[in-house]
Amino acid sequence: MSAVSEYVHNIKDTVSTIFEGMAVTASHFMRKPYTVQYPDRMPVRVQDTLPFRYRGILDVDLEICTGCLACERACPIDCIVIVAEKDQQTRQLLLSQFDIDIAKCMYCGLCSEVCPTGSIHHTTEFEGADYSLESLIRRFVQDPVMAYKAKKGPETDPRIAPILNRGMAYLDQWAQPGGEKPPGEEPA
Amino acid sequence: MHTLIQNLIAWGVFGKNPPRDLVAAIVVFVMSLIVFLVVALPFGGIVTWVERRVWARIQSRVGPNRVGPQGFLQWLADGIKIICKEDIIPDEADSRLFKLAPYLVMLAFILPWAVMPFSSSLILADLNVGILYMTAVTALTVVGVLMAGWASNNKWSLIGGVRSAAQIVSYEIPAGLSIFPVVLMTGTLSMQGIIRGQGWAPQHWFLFANPFTFVAANILYMSSLAEANRTPFDLPEAESELVAGFATEYSGWRYACFSMAEWGNLFIVGAIITTLFLGGWQFPHVTNNVVAMNVLEVITFTVKVLFLVFVSMWIRATLPRVRIDQLTTACWKYFVPISFVNMIGTAVWVAIWPDGNVAIGYIMFAGAIVFGAVFIQRVIYYLRRSRMEVYLNPTI
Amino acid sequence: MLAQVIFYALAALTVGSAALVAFSRNIVYSTFALLGAFMGAVGIYILLAADFVAMVQLLVYVGGILVLTIFAVMLTAGIGDVKVSNRAVGTGPAIIVAGVAAIVMLYAVMRTQWHQAAVFTPAPTTYAIGNAFLGDYVLPFEVASLVLLAALIGAIVISRHEVRE
Repeated sequence: MSAVSEYVHNIKDTVSTIFEGMAVTASHFMRKPYTVQYPDRMPVRVQDTLPFRYRGILDVDLEICTGCLACERACPIDCIVIVAEKDQQTRQLLLSQFDIDIAKCMYCGLCSEVCPTGSIHHTTEFEGADYSLESLIRRFVQDPVMAYKAKKGPETDPRIAPILNRGMAYLDQWAQPGGEKPPGEEPA
Repeated sequence: MHTLIQNLIAWGVFGKNPPRDLVAAIVVFVMSLIVFLVVALPFGGIVTWVERRVWARIQSRVGPNRVGPQGFLQWLADGIKIICKEDIIPDEADSRLFKLAPYLVMLAFILPWAVMPFSSSLILADLNVGILYMTAVTALTVVGVLMAGWASNNKWSLIGGVRSAAQIVSYEIPAGLSIFPVVLMTGTLSMQGIIRGQGWAPQHWFLFANPFTFVAANILYMSSLAEANRTPFDLPEAESELVAGFATEYSGWRYACFSMAEWGNLFIVGAIITTLFLGGWQFPHVTNNVVAMNVLEVITFTVKVLFLVFVSMWIRATLPRVRIDQLTTACWKYFVPISFVNMIGTAVWVAIWPDGNVAIGYIMFAGAIVFGAVFIQRVIYYLRRSRMEVYLNPTI
Repeated sequence: MLAQVIFYALAALTVGSAALVAFSRNIVYSTFALLGAFMGAVGIYILLAADFVAMVQLLVYVGGILVLTIFAVMLTAGIGDVKVSNRAVGTGPAIIVAGVAAIVMLYAVMRTQWHQAAVFTPAPTTYAIGNAFLGDYVLPFEVASLVLLAALIGAIVISRHEVRE
């Protein structure tokens, strides 16, 4: 008799468990998918959702670069190459080369930490795919430019002031691991 | 089909006094080509896309939605890609059998379409042994699968082939026995005859004719899934154990043959169940226009079949793969004895009520509605419990 | 005319496959060649308007017996070693016996008055077969099923586990 009851019990078990399982999957069928359809079908670009301190591809604001070579020295894998020399006539520092090899960069952030003005900094850009290694070397200096000289007191040049403000805010963030929001910069 | 040809000849479509046999042969040939190229082959492709979308939604994903509107042309892209692949025949393989095997599987997929009852007059050949023919030719698959498994000269392939053979041969018994209750009630083996024995309303379907046929329908559906190597019975190609089973060594066009036949078989499984238990193409007589009636009937039949295809995808997304001992236990200890009970029970039923019992039909249909309501209630319960956003829109 | 062409094509398929079964050096080829022989027989049944028998032939022989044969062959250890399984033994006496048998059969074929069917009417045969099985021939039918039952019991006896307390 127990064999018969076990037989019937097995059938009942199978039917009821499959019934429940099908109900669960049917409820999943009606839920909204989690999938984020990167990159082209998103409400907001991913880059715009990333935090200010995100370590993406390096960028340099040449307007506020002092030519101090601190970043070149700090880089553990020598992916930054800077050529800066004194102009004999004007007695000023002239930047004739500032290359960063993005293919080598390991996004450690040491260069942007030591930068006095926040000129070299990480962006939120991370889509660096390209067809050749050569094009991954970012050359920031096209024509030799004058290095930036820090002034006593606040910056007055209206062209440079916002860039410097941004750079200093960036540095402040590095200095404060808690990550206070810089003034005027609200991450999306 | 025969009357259609006679009418075409009478209308003078082929000129005056054409050679009748030749014309009939050519018409049947052209119609077969149309059915095969317009219905069977694209179905095998499109169903892969549908399946991937259905799975994706069940797993909270999106699925292929880039090629064409909502990814509808994904199957075409996949097909073109797979045909462009290199056709590799392993050095150690038995190349003659290796080349022959996919075509045998394909043949077993093509042949059942000859008796596919799309509507009251759209059927290539209404054989008076139609349902027997259907089960017999689908059994040809197993020869092709075994041939592929052996000719590949690969352990995975061979194990896959042998598993497939064991599975198909044993599940053919409950499948065959589950057809008999319907044959007992109609007294015919012809597809159209079986459909004409049912009505358009659910209470006149053989599914609800008596408790035994209801069980038989379920057993037939599960056995057909096993014969079509579908999850939860997809042991012959269990990818975690056997890579791809009998198709491991295949590539390019030959692999496409296997996968197309496999997915296309879903339609045949659905068509068998629809014909036997779900009233086939039966549609209420709303118009005297023959063409309009036929169109409605084709739509009815296709909708029923596609619903069953959807259920098999749903099952595939729900149930895990069974073990080989569970597979054989389910067949020999449960399906086969219950099928015998069904057969004898139906025979007794037919002896008591030779014209059927309509009241039972209504009661069982009402029971099915209650069952469905309970199911929907459970689904709503799971939706509420998870507090997820409900999104019924199929497009995303 | 067309029927004759089809008949000879089917006969060629059946006999050719049967020859391959008999003469192939590879037992797996022999087994798969059986498929052709069975399919040829199915075709001939259909040509003779024996629809039910044709389908049962397909279902039982191709779907069941052929698959089981292939299955058995594949479970045999070392298929590769069996290549010489069909080597002819005692060719001389065999030719004499076969020749005599062939002459006798040819003689019988020539002497028999073959019955010619007057009108060829393809008609469903399932009803007639069913009625014959459960009417006139019910006793042989049931006796045949007894043989199957005996085979079934034998298989169970051979394959069962001895449970010793």
